[in-house]
Amino acid sequence: MDFANLAAQLNAGTILPEGIVIITLLVVLVGDLIVGRSASRWLPYVAIAGLLSAIAALYLQWDNTNPVSFFGAFNSDDLSVIFRGIIALSATVTILMSIRYIEQSGTAMAEFMTILLTATLGGMFLSGASELVMIFISLETLSISSYLLTGYTKRDPRSNEAALKYLLIGAASTAVFLYGVSLLYGLSGGETQLSAIAVGLNSANAGQSLALVISLVFVIAGIAFKISAAPFHQWTPDVYEGAPTPVIAFLSVGSKAAGFALAIRLMTTAFPLLTDEWHFVFTALAVLSMILGNVVALAQTTMKRMLAYSSIAQAGFIMIGLIAGTDAGYASMVFYLLVYLFMNLGGFSCVILFSLRTGTDQISEYSGLYQKDPLLTLCLSICLLSLGGIPPLAGFFGKIYLFWAGWQAGLYGLVLLGLVTTVVSIYYYIRVVRMMVVKEPQEVSDAVRNYPEVRWDLPGMRPLQVGLVLSLVATSLAGILSNPLFTLANNSITNTSTLQPAVVSSVGTQVDVNQTQPLID
Amino acid sequence: MNLAEGVQIVSFGILAVMMIGTALGVVLLPNIVYSAFLLGGVFISIAGMYLLLNADFVAAAQVLIYIGAVNVLILFAIMLVNKREDFAPLRNAWVRPVFTGLVSVGLFALLGTMVLVTPWALSTQVSAGDSAIFLIGQHFFTDFLLPFELASILLLMAMVGAIILARREFLPDQVMSPTKQQPILTLPERPRELVSVSSDKSSNLDDGRRG
Amino acid sequence: MNPGIDLQGTFIETLMDLGLPAGVAKAIWMPLPMGLMLIGATMGVLVTTWLERKISAAAQQRIGPDFMGPFGLLAPVADGLKLVFKEDVVPAKSDRILFTLGPIIVVIPIFLSYLIVPFGQNLVITDVGTGIFLWISLSSIAPIGLLMAGYASNNKYALLGGLRAAAQSISYEIPLALSVLAVVMMSNSLSTIDIVEQQSGYGILGWNIWRQPAGFVIFWIAALAECERMPFDLPEAEEELVAGYQTEYSGMKFGLFYLSSYVNLVLSALLFAVLYLGGWDFPIPLNLLANLVGVSDDSSWLQVVDASLGIIMTVFKAYFLVFLAILLRWTVPRVRIDQLLDLGWKFLLPVGLANLLLTAALKLTFPVAFGG
Repeated sequence: MDFANLAAQLNAGTILPEGIVIITLLVVLVGDLIVGRSASRWLPYVAIAGLLSAIAALYLQWDNTNPVSFFGAFNSDDLSVIFRGIIALSATVTILMSIRYIEQSGTAMAEFMTILLTATLGGMFLSGASELVMIFISLETLSISSYLLTGYTKRDPRSNEAALKYLLIGAASTAVFLYGVSLLYGLSGGETQLSAIAVGLNSANAGQSLALVISLVFVIAGIAFKISAAPFHQWTPDVYEGAPTPVIAFLSVGSKAAGFALAIRLMTTAFPLLTDEWHFVFTALAVLSMILGNVVALAQTTMKRMLAYSSIAQAGFIMIGLIAGTDAGYASMVFYLLVYLFMNLGGFSCVILFSLRTGTDQISEYSGLYQKDPLLTLCLSICLLSLGGIPPLAGFFGKIYLFWAGWQAGLYGLVLLGLVTTVVSIYYYIRVVRMMVVKEPQEVSDAVRNYPEVRWDLPGMRPLQVGLVLSLVATSLAGILSNPLFTLANNSITNTSTLQPAVVSSVGTQVDVNQTQPLID
Repeated sequence: MNLAEGVQIVSFGILAVMMIGTALGVVLLPNIVYSAFLLGGVFISIAGMYLLLNADFVAAAQVLIYIGAVNVLILFAIMLVNKREDFAPLRNAWVRPVFTGLVSVGLFALLGTMVLVTPWALSTQVSAGDSAIFLIGQHFFTDFLLPFELASILLLMAMVGAIILARREFLPDQVMSPTKQQPILTLPERPRELVSVSSDKSSNLDDGRRG
Repeated sequence: MNPGIDLQGTFIETLMDLGLPAGVAKAIWMPLPMGLMLIGATMGVLVTTWLERKISAAAQQRIGPDFMGPFGLLAPVADGLKLVFKEDVVPAKSDRILFTLGPIIVVIPIFLSYLIVPFGQNLVITDVGTGIFLWISLSSIAPIGLLMAGYASNNKYALLGGLRAAAQSISYEIPLALSVLAVVMMSNSLSTIDIVEQQSGYGILGWNIWRQPAGFVIFWIAALAECERMPFDLPEAEEELVAGYQTEYSGMKFGLFYLSSYVNLVLSALLFAVLYLGGWDFPIPLNLLANLVGVSDDSSWLQVVDASLGIIMTVFKAYFLVFLAILLRWTVPRVRIDQLLDLGWKFLLPVGLANLLLTAALKLTFPVAFGG
């Protein structure tokens, strides 16, 4: 059997974007090995180029007529394509903002890029994984790289602490997830393909059994850890505080998007028998996340911790779309994640820039920043306001779409709660903005008073600026010109065959079996 | 019941008792070294269970990986950092174990009930036995090809990461060029001891790095 | 090729003829080869210690033990007796349970590994499918026992020795497994019987040593390191660590360590013979000789000769390797711990990987010669 034949049989073309990421990763690793430390000047750009070409390859995957590959291990439908795009894009922006940061923290550049690319790879594979082993391995790839990235600045005790906490809680949640998955395997009579599991569960009459419910709860616990939803959020504030800032920027967007992709695929494909139950569990998670995230964020004094709680809250908002369970609901999730990518990464770029210049991320130290650095102030304000959902910024439209989809699906209570907590969230976002634009000279903080001259020609600053401006533009324009993104999000859902039957028959007795897997041998 | 079945049941009993006993020991004993050694006992018992299930390759792999590598590394870590510290006793320290115990018992009861009430879809296939290795290999290169290959990336990255975390940093004297003369940042993420590389110190560090 | 003597089958049939059920007959048979192997392994150790003394003496131009029996043959027996009757001291403040358990955990897996050593077509305790892999995984248990002994002795030398032993053992397990893997790849099986079968037929020319020139060197170095033999006996380097993890041991517990190190050496030598030297094969194919003389293949006396020759050949090859190991002991200086780890990780591991890749490539190109 020759190679081309084999590749055709596996339908290996579907993982071309991931292949590009793997090659980039190896180039970065080996390039650094051969050239030495001076390679850190060009390595980030290689990584960015690789990620951008992966995104281009993803574009070619759009509307793939034959998305199932590797005997059903990987599904490259539009849903996975859009999520993989979000993850790759978030990694790109993260690299832009991390170059200067890594340089100043005196750590090795190439290894950071390698691990970040591996995390991206794990997230991308997770978005398309449609088989239990594949889901688990890609989840672990993402998680273990995240632990490593969290502890990357190893001479900082806080980074160590964050990494250890993340590792321990993450390992526990992985174990719980694995237990749930193993129950699925057992109940379905030894199937690992998600669609086959649904069939197996149906035929084994395991619909309402206790074991399936337990497995559902355990699996959701694992996913909720990844998206840092409320009772499983304990790691979030500490990790956000201790880990290198670009890392948490990636965790808050890329890792979370991968978690949501997993949630959509696993819940809709493997648990159509328990639709009401998983809706209920996610409703509880969403309520807790929105309330806890937004309320605790009010009391935070450091920017990173505030963003941590805000990201918990945002996860709660996004879950509304998941619970809605309609086409519009899923599309609104995708749309919101796209918007969230830009506004959150923009916010993190600003936090990084500020801490690079002043060495602090206390919220009180931001006061009076407007006079010293208008661009930074503008960008941070726009991003925070957008996160809060102020019209006409992108976040507003994202939230409106989410709430509209939720309302359509009859989730009145949840939407009302979302609205109330949004108001709460606007308060703490605005607090920062107000702090920055104070006029009185006596209120200006020490850090801002000693603010260094703004220079963009230092090594690694230019990419940061590019990332900043990019997210600024995207955040402000995506709201007004949101139609293309809208269409993209909608198409990605309507073109995904696995989501369609589940949407049509919301009770889910009908199971999608039209993806006939090519059998082995 | 013939002889073979009898042996099987007796071995199952022994292994089960051993597994539960050692596992409880791992959790309950105050001495962490004992816990680590007992963990080896847990792994051995699990390997025995695999043997009873006619999965001898998995059993051997379990022994090789979990005892030969994981447990030895755990012991290594414990013995290299086994610094005795006297912690001030917490007040109400008994609450936590009791609470944990209650949660564990509850969880056990739940899972136990679940196992008993679930109509398991039992496989009627004969276990592969000696041909298991071939079957495993076939699966690796057909339907589990992608996870198998992804695992190699995962391992590569884990290795890189482990080396980064374990490597002794060696900070060279940085040339403070005027372009780098941004104010010395007191980034909380960056407490760096700038090693001033004088001649004798550098040789010292060199030794340290080699050793 | 005919299967040779099937002792097990004959024995069970005899018992069944006497009216016993098959299960019971098998159960009666089972302890026999195990006991035989246990005794054989222990005897092997006695012989090895005697050889060690004699060859060491020869290497240093001495005579060695001479008065205890003819050629000092009773010296190992005296050794054993001394160890058995010596007082068993457990140091104060040591951990009594772990202190006792340590040597036991070291010894048991090594004896268990004898399960898979074949002396002939049917002269093996069990022909398990995992075969050689079982040995590799069992040999990875020993470091736990060493760490246990080192920790329980409450002695810094013992602890350091135990840690060194464990580090050495896990580092050299990888090149060892890689070199074994190359052989396994050629014989398409993990079973030791199949590995020997695949080498038979061409006499000495068919042995794996010709097809795995790099592999057998890696295997032997790694095996010596696993046994903590001389160039790699850092865990008990007396200049630095007194006697490593054995420092506090005396009496029969020390005896167990002593026993385990020699049993392990003999075991490694036996497996080297199986993997690379054609196991029980005579250097000239026996069938060929028989045909030349004109004896039919299935005459019973030929089978008996074949079987005994097989046992003799295996043991002879193994003791030749033991001889090499002892010679190495007196010719090569001990390496430093960092050199040891460097050799393992930076030299043997890449070479082992390259060897594996090369074997795979050769197997694809010349399936006839490298087991298609």
